[in-house]
Amino acid sequence: MLKATVAALTGALLLGAAVPALAKDKTIAVSWKTFQEERWKTDEAAIKAAVTAAGNKYVSTDAQGSAEKQAKDIEGLITQKVDVIVIVAYDSDAILPSIKAARDAGIKTMAYDVQFEDPSALYITFDNIGVGRLMAKEVQKVKPAGNYAFIKGDKGDPNATFLFKGIMEVLGDAIKAGKIKNSCETFTDGWKPDNAQKNMEQCLTSTGNKIDAVVSENDGMASGVVAALKAQGMDGSVAVSGQDGDLAAINRVALGTQTVSIWKDATQLGKKAGELANMIADGTAIDKLPGVTKFNLGKKGVEMNSILLEPTTITKDTLDVAIKAGHITKEKACAGVKAGSVKACG
Amino acid sequence: MTQSTETRSEPALAQEGVVTRFLRATEIDTRLLGMVGALILISVCFHFAGILRTGNGVFLSPRNLWILLVQTSSIAVMTTGMVLIIVMRHIDLSVGSLLGVIAVIMGYAQVYVLGPWLGVGHPAIWIITILIGLSAGALLGGFHGYLIAYAGIPSFIVTLGGLIVWRGAAWAIIRGETVAPMDETFELLGGGPLDASIKATGSWILGIIVCVVIVLALYFGRKSRQKFNFPLRPMWAETFLGIVGCGITLGTVLLVNSYYFPPKLANEYAERYNIPIPEDGFLLSKGFAIPVLIAAAAAIVMTFVATRTRFGRYVYAIGGNPEAAELAGINTKRITLIMFSIMGVLAAISACISSARLNAASNALGQFDELYVIAATVIGGTSLAGGVGTIYGAILGALVMQSLQSGMTLLNFDSAYKDMAVGSVLVFAVWLDQIYRRRAN
Amino acid sequence: MTTTTTAHTSSTINAFADGRQPLVEMRDISIAFGGIKAVDHASLELYKGEVVALLGHNGAGKSTLIKILSGAYQRDHGDIYIRGEKASIDNPRDAKRYGIETIYQTLALADNVDAAANLFLGRELRTAWGTLDDVAMEAATREVMGRLNPNFRRFKEPVKKLSGGQRQSVAIARAIHFNANILIMDEPTAALGPQETQQVADLTLELKKQGIGIFLISHDIHDVFDLADRVAVMKNGRIVGTARVEDVSKDEVLGMIILGKCPPGAIPGPGALSS
Repeated sequence: MLKATVAALTGALLLGAAVPALAKDKTIAVSWKTFQEERWKTDEAAIKAAVTAAGNKYVSTDAQGSAEKQAKDIEGLITQKVDVIVIVAYDSDAILPSIKAARDAGIKTMAYDVQFEDPSALYITFDNIGVGRLMAKEVQKVKPAGNYAFIKGDKGDPNATFLFKGIMEVLGDAIKAGKIKNSCETFTDGWKPDNAQKNMEQCLTSTGNKIDAVVSENDGMASGVVAALKAQGMDGSVAVSGQDGDLAAINRVALGTQTVSIWKDATQLGKKAGELANMIADGTAIDKLPGVTKFNLGKKGVEMNSILLEPTTITKDTLDVAIKAGHITKEKACAGVKAGSVKACG
Repeated sequence: MTQSTETRSEPALAQEGVVTRFLRATEIDTRLLGMVGALILISVCFHFAGILRTGNGVFLSPRNLWILLVQTSSIAVMTTGMVLIIVMRHIDLSVGSLLGVIAVIMGYAQVYVLGPWLGVGHPAIWIITILIGLSAGALLGGFHGYLIAYAGIPSFIVTLGGLIVWRGAAWAIIRGETVAPMDETFELLGGGPLDASIKATGSWILGIIVCVVIVLALYFGRKSRQKFNFPLRPMWAETFLGIVGCGITLGTVLLVNSYYFPPKLANEYAERYNIPIPEDGFLLSKGFAIPVLIAAAAAIVMTFVATRTRFGRYVYAIGGNPEAAELAGINTKRITLIMFSIMGVLAAISACISSARLNAASNALGQFDELYVIAATVIGGTSLAGGVGTIYGAILGALVMQSLQSGMTLLNFDSAYKDMAVGSVLVFAVWLDQIYRRRAN
Repeated sequence: MTTTTTAHTSSTINAFADGRQPLVEMRDISIAFGGIKAVDHASLELYKGEVVALLGHNGAGKSTLIKILSGAYQRDHGDIYIRGEKASIDNPRDAKRYGIETIYQTLALADNVDAAANLFLGRELRTAWGTLDDVAMEAATREVMGRLNPNFRRFKEPVKKLSGGQRQSVAIARAIHFNANILIMDEPTAALGPQETQQVADLTLELKKQGIGIFLISHDIHDVFDLADRVAVMKNGRIVGTARVEDVSKDEVLGMIILGKCPPGAIPGPGALSS
């Protein structure tokens, strides 16, 4: 069956050399690093939907958390002469020889969510610095001036610093101008909610509760922050940020105890990747794709064509986005919410 | 230096210093005094460092000390069991992961099972949840104990495995999601909500009860020794112990009562219970927080178990000489199994406190707690060689560690320096203890 | 050959037999550890008010044989009779129920707790509430220690702080407090000075007078020869022979210990040199 398909495809390709490429009957392959993690199922469903909607064929392999298996998987996909390989790399260095082999065979590659540094590939991911920026923006909208607390992630995780960079891009000027005061700033061991709670309690103690906004770098820590604020009766009146789109956090947003959760919607990323793969398969040059930018913030600083998606901002007003996307049920999102206080909850 | 060796000889007894005579008469553990001294020193240092740095010292404020007690309670509960585990020459590396998985089980039960089934806010939810948590703790801990005692696998390995397994299980149950919010009554166990502390009156009543118990204990202790014509403590020493015990108790009551709710919450409370609000504002004392009371109860119960029951006697005997205990006819395997089961229950109690305090259960809850629990226990004078250790010491150790961490956070130290300080204090404390033991022998 | 010897031993020669029933009778006991026969078909008996010295080199099997009697080891083969009745001794608690008390070579004290806790270890006195009755235990300890070692005052200290003799007296106190009728003393004087050794000897005779049967285990014949009524010698896990002390000389007993040679005054066992 597979052989027959491959033969047919090969035939089609040979014909295609003479006739202009059609949007139909291309094969898009995805090499997953592992299906052990629940989240990739969401991505896969979105990619598959986008690919088949365009009349193309979706194939996939699962490297089962092994760099060697992934290299063999890609080798097999090259033999099958698929049109585009979307790769979630298990090891972003070990994958490079496979990428070169694909390039030599004239197959286009995409780095999905995990970057590998090969200039011929397209890198598609959420804009991580943007997450920090978005959090800060939403908090600043609610509290343009006052005392800010910054609950940063684990000091050993580059993402924590990365996020903080984005946050400071937005708030830096206001801090310099003296409108915003940096009252507490602390890393949180292991991104742990209970540590965030302790840090927040200490922050409130040392400032005598004079805190107007808390920029917490994720939703888990935001739960600790809100618990600390609640003990002082300040929950709901202090702006609190977070990210991940945790179900509990979305509920806090509905309840008004958290201002914003930045949500990286896997469906959105998968859909976009599927659409781009279709376009690449049809022969659109990677650097001519709509919205493509140059990205060189990787480990080695290799410049790559990339698509950086803007994550979704979930606030009281945009709550329905997460519900409509099927990320959370209305029941869960609106648990305990007073009727009429939030539009999406009715 | 040379003097101290000479004091052992007979004539020196007459010129025995006032301090030595005092310690001998009151039978106060000098190591305990050292710990308390260290705690006071740390507090005062942080307080004045705060004054120097920001102009106002907050460390010794009732508010900070109250929060400090609440923050210590979860670790403190687990240290009471870890002392006995280490005394028995075992170790339990799994307590943090046990806490995590039990918190997740209880969170799952409340939010996804009991809530929909009984209706959110049903008064039985918190009771069923706690029962589920405690049984899970007893079962998982008992399972570890079984593998250690009957299958003969070293406790280090069994609980190292447990550390990894249960953390994974916690993730698997809720797929990495955070479960929230907890049942409203259950949340009281964390000390956050308005009703989660016993206010001024409750604290005074409790304080007075404790005082009466202290005096009665001293009285009956003396009476029963009199009955057998045993040597007695001098009367002044008994009085001194009574006064100090009551003084500390009532002083603590005074402390927790001088931390007031923020006005907004106080007014909310007044409204809820129809208390008229006076014109110059309503002052509502916090009093003892429920998690602190739970920790105190755990400490009292475990001290009782350790010193007043056969089980506790056997735990110490096994730690002192396992072979002798076996030859004396003690069923050491059973004691080991029960002890690990108790440790599981204590981890479950801590899981209640932690998840209630956070008002959420996440699979990261309790991560690295095993290290803090073991460190607190060792700082508190428990010997890793087994046989020696006290529960009050371990709780003081937990307080020392939490004071360091919270004090440095108040001063806005980077968490890297906090880690360095806590690690150094651990090694330093054990070194001091070694010196003390060598002198004592 | 073996059977006739056994019959011989228990009926005719032993002056303590007198047609009386033995207090303890160990018949044909064997135990092996990893294929090595630590005790090999050993039979031995003890009568009321008798002191039997069990002699032999280190590793001859004496401590192992005696640990089977005290319940610390479980035999592979053989039976134990107490006052003529077959006894089932599978652990130390069983042995104590039969009135068998043991003072181990290592003393088997929990070093980190005090004298009273050690004395009552495994048999604590409890109050009506089920809690430890420390005061009563201390009182009993003071009483029994007062008899053994009147100068002893350190009731509140962990026993590791005590001297060798004091620790020894705690171990002995533990054995005699519970009205033992069979006492096993494994190298009781190994760690003691001459004065303390004499104390133990006096105590042994005192207990013997009370009708207690005593097994005295030693690798040194001089420690026990004057105290014992009878000697039994073991070598390589087997009984070389038994003899009343008046029937053999010290040198002959030494010959039994070292060479396994059974003198005419002794009843040969299965371990005797068959020349």
